[in-house]
This record gives sequence, structure tokens and C-alpha cells, in this order.
Amino acid sequence: MRSLLNFLKKYGNVLLFLLLEAIAIYLLTVKPDYHKIKITRIVNASASVLQERLNLASDYFVLNEINQQLRKENRELKNRLERVYNTESLQTFEATDSVYRQKYVYVQARVVNNSVNKQKNYITLDKGKLEGISEDMAVIGPDGIVGLVVEAGKNYSVAMSALNLDFRLSARLSKNNYFGSLNWEGVDVNTMVLNEIPQHVSVEQGDTIETTGYSAYFPEGVMVGTVKAFNEGGGDFYDIDVELATGFKKLNNVYVVINLEKNDQTDVEQKINTEQRR
Amino acid sequence: MLNDILRYTGLFIVLLAIQVLLMNNIQFSGYVNPYVYILFILLLPFEIPSWMVLLLSFATGLVIDVSSGTLGLHTAATVFAGFSRPWVLKLIAPHDGYETGDLPGMKTYGFRWFIPYIIIITLLHHFALFYLEVFRFDYFFRTLLRVISSSGFTVLFIIIIQALIVRR
Repeated sequence: MRSLLNFLKKYGNVLLFLLLEAIAIYLLTVKPDYHKIKITRIVNASASVLQERLNLASDYFVLNEINQQLRKENRELKNRLERVYNTESLQTFEATDSVYRQKYVYVQARVVNNSVNKQKNYITLDKGKLEGISEDMAVIGPDGIVGLVVEAGKNYSVAMSALNLDFRLSARLSKNNYFGSLNWEGVDVNTMVLNEIPQHVSVEQGDTIETTGYSAYFPEGVMVGTVKAFNEGGGDFYDIDVELATGFKKLNNVYVVINLEKNDQTDVEQKINTEQRR
Repeated sequence: MLNDILRYTGLFIVLLAIQVLLMNNIQFSGYVNPYVYILFILLLPFEIPSWMVLLLSFATGLVIDVSSGTLGLHTAATVFAGFSRPWVLKLIAPHDGYETGDLPGMKTYGFRWFIPYIIIITLLHHFALFYLEVFRFDYFFRTLLRVISSSGFTVLFIIIIQALIVRR
């Protein structure tokens, strides 16, 4: 008994240290579900409400900027509409309804919480399941890609920011459609890296990078950014630094993209996968 | 005793507010993420038992984690810092040891004692924190650079806060 007490006296702190460290590491590894743990959910909910109030106040200072952004977006949409009308009036064509089915629905949301200084950044949005938002939906802003919804609550949802080490997206050079994998390296909030573009492809500074639409989440042709620099890394592929179009520090209005055909696509893809495995 | 508890609770709340409201909003670059809340662990009295330091570290880390949505991360790093504290104190002890009742502040043993003390513990804490956050070895040297540059800013801010708030 005494030796046990002596042992505890001598190594008790080490044991306590290991125990506490084990708890912490356990909490860390269940992190993908961190928003499911009740206490963080409650705290996050109240923090979101507080943050929203604060945002309402601070929004006034950037109203001008937000307006400008929206005006620019409006102008671009109007121009696009004009192009569509013109082509329609120029040629007659047979229209069947199935050609004009709607594939995407955009839900407007506001950013109530956002960070760019961590390695794994998340964005809280003020819309949730009640607006039809669920996991794995793309989030885009007026200027380009923003992130991917990872958790949807009733009135709020949490999206993984593109500025997150775990974020992956298929993106292409818009001029020749060569595509690669886009990710963030955790350093610069304005730069992501595009890999897997073969070196025989011509790349120039300023080339536009956009989404491919190969994933079931992001629509095709959403702006990602422009080529800032590129170098011939090891192997036959370029490492391309992409200057992001979206200013993540000033995120405000975003759209959550609901893909009406997502289940269709993923179901078929899954079928093929299981068949191949057999 | 009660007075001390009140004082440390006050210190804790002030540091938490500084951390969450100011420091977490420094969005300057990925290389500058100061975490000044560890000053709470640094300033605990000398004679406080080690298990108490560990428990307080755990609680501190957990509170920071919950308020910044990173469950487990700060907890692990702060417990590590709290565990290493007695060793660091022993390592840099003055010739005639510590007086009981003294607080490990800048005033008590001077700048030249305090600076190595915060630098060592800050580095240990940040080292654990940033590597756990990245959780992969791809970015080893970049993470090391982040550890060093953020530690520099943490130390700087800690000195400022210590000079401003902790006059007693």
C-alpha cells in the first residue's frame, strides 16, 4: 500500500498529465464531429447570435463596398442575360422542356462568423436546413468560390472555407480546359495552389482558373482566380499559384448552391463504382 | 487565499477577452497567431502543486477551445505547457532559489529571469499547438517558421500585457 502511495506521489503528475493529454487528443481526433458535441453547439449558437449583432453594426462601415460588389454582380448578370436573349432572337430552334430544366438553386446567405488565420478555417452562415441547405453543398460568393457546407443546423450552417488544409477542389484553366486539383497550403489568404497541370500545357500569368463541375457540388465555370506564378516542380506537372478572386477577409454575401441533380449523379457514380469492384 | 482566487479569476477573464476578441482577430498572415492566454499559466504562484497547474491548464485550454471552435487543440498544447512549467522553473532558478509567496512575474525576479521563462514555455506551447493543428509532416519547416514567428509576437504581447495589467 505504501509503495503504491509512494509511486503515486512520485509519478502521479505524470499520470495526470498523460490522462489529460489523452482526453485532449481524443477530443481533437473526433474533431470532424466537433459541432455535434452538445456543449460546443450551444456555445457556437450563442456566439453566432452575438457575432451576428456585432456584424450588423460593423456592416455599416463597409456598406459602400458591399453595394459596389452587388452592383458589379448585377451588371454581369444583366450582360449575361442580354447575351442569352440576343442569341434566342437570332435563331429559331426547337425547345423541349427537358433541355431547360433547372439544375441549380442559389440560396442567399450572410456570413456571421469567419476566420482566415487558422490552418483549418470554417465559415458560419445564417441559413440552415429550413432554407433547404444540407451538407456537401457548395458556397460561392459574388467574386468566386468560398467553401463547402459541412454541417447544417436548423437556422445556421457551417462551411469549410476554401482556406482549409482539408479543402480539395477540381479546377481548370478556362482557356484550354486542362484541369487539376486545387488546395490551400495554409500560408497566404489570397493564394491557393493548383497541381496536376501537365507541363506541356501553355500557362501564362493572369490566366483564369475556374471550377470544372466534375464534382457534384460546384457548378461549372465558377471563378476561382488568376494565375499568379507557376513553376516546374518535381515530375511532369506545374505547381501553379492561383491568386484568389474572393477576398476571404471581407466575406459578407454568399450563395449556397443546391444541386437538384446531385443525388442522381452520385447514385449513378456509386453504381459504377460498386460494379467495378465486383 | 480568497483574494488570490478572485485575482486569478479576474486575470483569467481579462486574458480570455484579450485572446478571443483581439488576438484571434489578427488576420494579418498565417505566420502571426499570438496566443497570450498562456500568461495565466505562467503567472500562477510558485508553491501551487503541479497537479493543480495541470488541471488549470486543462480548464484554460478547454475554455479557449470552446470559444474558438477547435476542440482539444489548445487543451492539448496548454496541458503540455503546464506540465513543462515545473521543469522550466527548476532550469532557470536563481542561485538562492525562489522565495515562498513570490509570484513568477517580471517584477519579482527581473527582466532577465522573466524573458527566458516566457520564451521557453511559449515555444513549447506553440510547438505543440501548431504541429497538432497541421497534423501532418508535409509542412514541417513552414510550421516551424510559424511556431517561431508567432512565439515572437506572443512574447512581445505578453510583455506588454504584463506591464499594463499585472502591476501588483
